[in-house]
Amino acid sequence: ILKGQRYIYSTRLSGDSEQHQGQYYTVPPSHFHTVFPHGLPPRYQQQVKTFNEGCVMVRQPALELISHLKRADYSKPTLRYLLYGVKGSGKTMSLCHTVHYCSTQGWLVLHIPDAHLWVKNCKELLPSSYHASRFDQPIQASNWLRNFRTTNENFLSKIKLRQRYVWTKRESTEEGQPLGELVDMGVSRVKSSSDVVGAVLKELRLQAGGTEGGFRLAVAVDGVNGLWGRTTLKKEDKSPVAPEELTLVHNLRKMINNDWCGGAVIATLSQTGSLYAPSSAYLPQELLGEEGFDSMDPFIPVPVSLYSEKEFESCYLYYLDRHWLQHPHSQTEEGKKELIFLSNRNPSVLERLCAFL
Amino acid sequence: MASTSGLRTTLSKMAASLTGLLKPWTPRVLLVRWSRYNPYYLEPEPRKEVYHIPETELTPEQKEERELKSVRPIKAATNSVTSSVFNDPVLSKFVNMMMKDGDKIIAKGIITQTLENMKRKQVEKYHKAPEGKKAEIECNPYAIFHQALENCKPVIGLASIQKGGKFYQVPIPLTDNRRRFLAMKWMITECRDNKHRRTLMYEKLSQELLAAFSKEGNVVKRKHELHKMAESNRAYAHYRWW
Repeated sequence: ILKGQRYIYSTRLSGDSEQHQGQYYTVPPSHFHTVFPHGLPPRYQQQVKTFNEGCVMVRQPALELISHLKRADYSKPTLRYLLYGVKGSGKTMSLCHTVHYCSTQGWLVLHIPDAHLWVKNCKELLPSSYHASRFDQPIQASNWLRNFRTTNENFLSKIKLRQRYVWTKRESTEEGQPLGELVDMGVSRVKSSSDVVGAVLKELRLQAGGTEGGFRLAVAVDGVNGLWGRTTLKKEDKSPVAPEELTLVHNLRKMINNDWCGGAVIATLSQTGSLYAPSSAYLPQELLGEEGFDSMDPFIPVPVSLYSEKEFESCYLYYLDRHWLQHPHSQTEEGKKELIFLSNRNPSVLERLCAFL
Repeated sequence: MASTSGLRTTLSKMAASLTGLLKPWTPRVLLVRWSRYNPYYLEPEPRKEVYHIPETELTPEQKEERELKSVRPIKAATNSVTSSVFNDPVLSKFVNMMMKDGDKIIAKGIITQTLENMKRKQVEKYHKAPEGKKAEIECNPYAIFHQALENCKPVIGLASIQKGGKFYQVPIPLTDNRRRFLAMKWMITECRDNKHRRTLMYEKLSQELLAAFSKEGNVVKRKHELHKMAESNRAYAHYRWW
């Protein structure tokens, strides 16, 4: 039973108008498998499965990003947006909201779910065939290509390659072939998948701002501070691998550079998956380090704060409506005050508290 | 008043009835694990409602109690006591029984994961059920936990009594505490022993609790077997002398 009209959820809400701040909008179920094969936080995925629907709260950082994207000039070099905030304040969810908006507007979305996954826990590290001192990561690259294919089905046949790529003595991809073939080749030939990723990124970068058949490119990277820093990977002689020596990281850094036009780069900082960073660090300077900050500079910082009172109310009413808050005391005023006290209005802490209450 | 050394010797063998001689003191050697306070110390009051009653509405006993509390020292509250509205004594007991090596954080974590798991399964069923069936599905994990525990509690127990050189299993009545203890113990041992090697504790526990809620599963089976044994040993019931 809704006490106030603080929260409305319906498919009619488009999710990008200012007056719906604090309210939830539903992502249509068909979009979940296409737009988000990877990239949603795992607890949110569980929540979508339990409630049988996916609702995202419209919050101020996402609205700010969307308004910037609407008004930006796409003939100028790309603008880079950086979402930062304390742990659990909703950076990844804001990123996913923006990614959904971009895909509804018909942009090509390049979503890297977590850059930290590429710099740690890699079982297979092959020396790269293209460049002698670099290393390939076949499993991560082929996984990402598969998800990329699911996200951007309709673009794969439209974009044609502008260059000839030679993989081995007998295999090459000619120019003029559709991008889909390149991606399929990367998925099937796992050994050269990292180089395929590099080729795909290069093609998209060249063709994004084009006037004939031009599309807009959104590069969404979560945990961008993993690209500059240290890795936990080791070479065969036990010496540490620097991030530059990984093909995937090298190509992604070229993507984040603002020397191309016709799109936007939206990035999130993340302390959760980061390596060798203290747990209290959340500001861009601390997490990106010297090198990262210099490469990302100039960027537009977007701070993500904890829930305001109105947003907390909205979240609380949403959980009540979905029958998630089951403890009899959690539905009283006193229980609500206790929830505010225990969670300090932090979105992820509140979610974890309400899970067992 | 007696001298201090004489007072100390009497105090060391003291019974609670000697309240007249009691004075606030702490022994030289403080026991930390199992706290043994001087009976002079009063119990702490963790509930918030007691302190919100305004002055005018207090009964004479409550006024007397408040005056006593302002004079006497009070024991330190244990870590498991909270003034939170979400505090549940039965659940705290279950957490303590699940705890190994004093690691309450892990035990509490397992229980919260269990409650979350149960709630997720039930809420998913609720949202997928047709309109008519929605009211029958119980989504509250605490209600399910309490009901499941009730369904596992045995009504009658067996005691081993020796008569004429032989030991007989005699049916005896059980106290409430004993019944609750047996239900919890059976639940925990069942979940620890009879499961697949790779299932986690919270997963198995949530399955067993949901089964016990609908009166199926191994724990209620064990309760029924105990009842059958007691029924079959009815003839020896007169061996009980208390």
